[in-house]
Amino acid sequence: MIYFTELENLPAHDAKGEYLGHLVDLAINPSQNSFQVAYFYVMTPKKKLMCIPHDQISTISVRAAQTSIPAAEISCAAPDEGLICIKKDVLDQQIIDVNDQKVVRVIDVDFDIQPNHKHTELRIVAVNVGAAAAARRLLQGLFAKHRIRTITSVLPTKTIPWEFVSLIEPDPARRVKLRIEYNRLAKMHPADIADILEELSRDEQRSVIESLDDETAAEAVSEIPTRMQVALLNSLSAGRAADIVEEMAPDEAADVLQELPPETTAEVLANMDAEDAEDVRKLLGFEENTAGGFMTNEFIVLDETASVEAAVEALKNFSGELDTIHALYLVSQNLVLTKVVPLALLLISDKNAPLSSLVSDEAISVPFHADKKTVINMFHKYNLLTLPVVDDNDRLLGVVTADDVLELVIKEK
Amino acid sequence: MSALVFLSVLGPGIITSNVDNDAGGIYTYSIAGARYGYSLLWTLVPITIALIVVQEMVGRMGVVTGKGLADLIREEYGFRTTFILMLLLLLTNWGNTVSEFAGLASGMSVFHVSRFISVPLGAMFVWLLVVRGTYRIVEKVFLLACFFYVSYLISGFIAHPTWKQAAIGTIKPAIAFDADYLYMIIGLVGTTIAPWMQFYLQAAVVEKGIKIKHYVHSRLDIIIGSIIVDVVAFFIILACAATIYMSGNRQIDNAADAALALRPLAGNAAAALFAFGLVNASLFAASILPLATAYTVCEGLGFESGINKRPHEAPAFYSLYTGLIILGGLAVLILPEIRQVPIILFSQVANGILLPFVLIFMLRLCNREDLMGPYRNTRTFNIIAWTTCIIIMLLTLLWVIRSFLPQYLP
Repeated sequence: MIYFTELENLPAHDAKGEYLGHLVDLAINPSQNSFQVAYFYVMTPKKKLMCIPHDQISTISVRAAQTSIPAAEISCAAPDEGLICIKKDVLDQQIIDVNDQKVVRVIDVDFDIQPNHKHTELRIVAVNVGAAAAARRLLQGLFAKHRIRTITSVLPTKTIPWEFVSLIEPDPARRVKLRIEYNRLAKMHPADIADILEELSRDEQRSVIESLDDETAAEAVSEIPTRMQVALLNSLSAGRAADIVEEMAPDEAADVLQELPPETTAEVLANMDAEDAEDVRKLLGFEENTAGGFMTNEFIVLDETASVEAAVEALKNFSGELDTIHALYLVSQNLVLTKVVPLALLLISDKNAPLSSLVSDEAISVPFHADKKTVINMFHKYNLLTLPVVDDNDRLLGVVTADDVLELVIKEK
Repeated sequence: MSALVFLSVLGPGIITSNVDNDAGGIYTYSIAGARYGYSLLWTLVPITIALIVVQEMVGRMGVVTGKGLADLIREEYGFRTTFILMLLLLLTNWGNTVSEFAGLASGMSVFHVSRFISVPLGAMFVWLLVVRGTYRIVEKVFLLACFFYVSYLISGFIAHPTWKQAAIGTIKPAIAFDADYLYMIIGLVGTTIAPWMQFYLQAAVVEKGIKIKHYVHSRLDIIIGSIIVDVVAFFIILACAATIYMSGNRQIDNAADAALALRPLAGNAAAALFAFGLVNASLFAASILPLATAYTVCEGLGFESGINKRPHEAPAFYSLYTGLIILGGLAVLILPEIRQVPIILFSQVANGILLPFVLIFMLRLCNREDLMGPYRNTRTFNIIAWTTCIIIMLLTLLWVIRSFLPQYLP
């Protein structure tokens, strides 16, 4: 095991033993091998940057590095964008630990020295964020390396294996070159992705969002705090912001758009699919802290005379998120809410049974101008998962769901 | 820094200008006026220009990079440099926290409340206020009470200062090289351009997610805020010059002495009025400063932070925050009463001494093309900022030599 802190400024010699300079950086070529150090960068006393390929390193240790070729044959080149440089791109930067689903800042990098028959390979093992690494960096240069090892051996160490490290790169072109994908990230639960997003800076957030598909991005964005949503959406193009807002549930979308400056809201709505934009616009018309402001207008409504079969058809044709549906709503001919049918009842009923016969109680609903307290109390009193919202003529406008109410209750605390 | 978002009632610039006038500010400006009359008024103009430049740089960095200052320093200068800087910041801010609690104790002493009661109560109040999250409500009370500074304005006029002298004092630089004078100037710089405020301001700008093209509006907010600071400082110095300096007894040892500046306005109620303003300013700053410090240090060293997290989720953050408050309050209890005001002044001088080092980092970051792109510093900004830097360092050097090695300077 050898640490980047110990490799930094390591004296380098050529095949004849002549001093070349000191090691300043290491580079990995992700398109060839994500774990092997491909190039060693040495700064000569004359301030030239030498680039030594990995197969020309004969030995490397905490004391020195030695190449297998004479100085004259070593080329001088700066690393290109397709390489990951440890000092520039990893050390002291924030990375995503896709295993623990956290964002951490790198303190040191661990390597393994692997002697080959002709040369010595350096292989990256892990990123180090523990107290031992912190102490090592503080003491570097002040004491001999073996002494530092003794001192830091008593301190706790915390490492993240390199295979779980995801670099954050704001430049999309470079992301492609470095093969940075957020596949693992995309598989995480949106709420966990949101936790990670919260730790990142604005440009870093944008880089992660840009590499997620619209649906995942929308779900993750729904879960981050509102002011962050605003900042994030503000930093995206209107088209991309619209793509994401489109995928959000209308009530979520309305909540976010409400916080944006009006020109931005108008721009985003204009870029959205017309139908989705219309849904959101309707919700934006309601006052913020009322039932109308909390509700979503994505729900399944059927005529009161419809059968179970019709209900199943409606579910199949539903364009929104099915896992948010707990009940169906029955309305009369003039759209007045009559009954609420819990989804579970559909499973045990005959397909020709009229839906209104499945439920005996009249629908419990709340007017759109009801305040926050009323809504919360109704959920509590009637043990509801969803609460329909009606206008002054009892016509169905939308539905408030339990997760939104939970958020309200938590915010009050 | 989600805690900072609750200060989004007004722009970050105007908020900082109010927090700038904390116990350290009130006392430093008061002493400047009491001891030197109008002759230090001239420092306010260059200091305000420097303040505007520094805060604008910090705001611009926040908007363009979307990262906090501590984050940037960590990413560009590495762990050790950041560690040392954070350590210095922690020490200086501990000093500032001490001065806030000292201000609280000093103010309450007017009402004959012992510091052994006022400080522990104040510390608990502040800690609970922030940790329980009820800061939002109380913030509005704090801000409202900041109207207190108007009393300096009014008092300054009623005291019939010799306006001619004041005008001369404002325009004509009077430069002396005695140690106390230099100390005073460094203190004035340090209390107006406190390092901790720059970290705080940049983080606040990042939190608000201000778009680059909207940044022009933020600039205005920063300029207005700085001018407000300047005006308040001016009138505190003026009022003290017109009253305390003129009276001949130019010492300020406690709140009652400083309160004399408000006599023209409030007569016998001057002490109570002053105490009210001082206590408000101290509590206000005590709610923000330790929290901002904890956030900054955690940001720079990569610790979990957030007032919305449980203590076991963000142990370093909570330890730093609570530690600062406890050690800050403790220092005030241990310090004898006569040392309270000198310590308040010293904490501001410490700010002034640390400032150039933070400025150097800011200047180097703000001039980087790869970080700031087309928004790099203009030459004018660089000149002003570097000049400020060099002048303060020179002043500090001169003061150190004059105070500790007087034989080296005639």
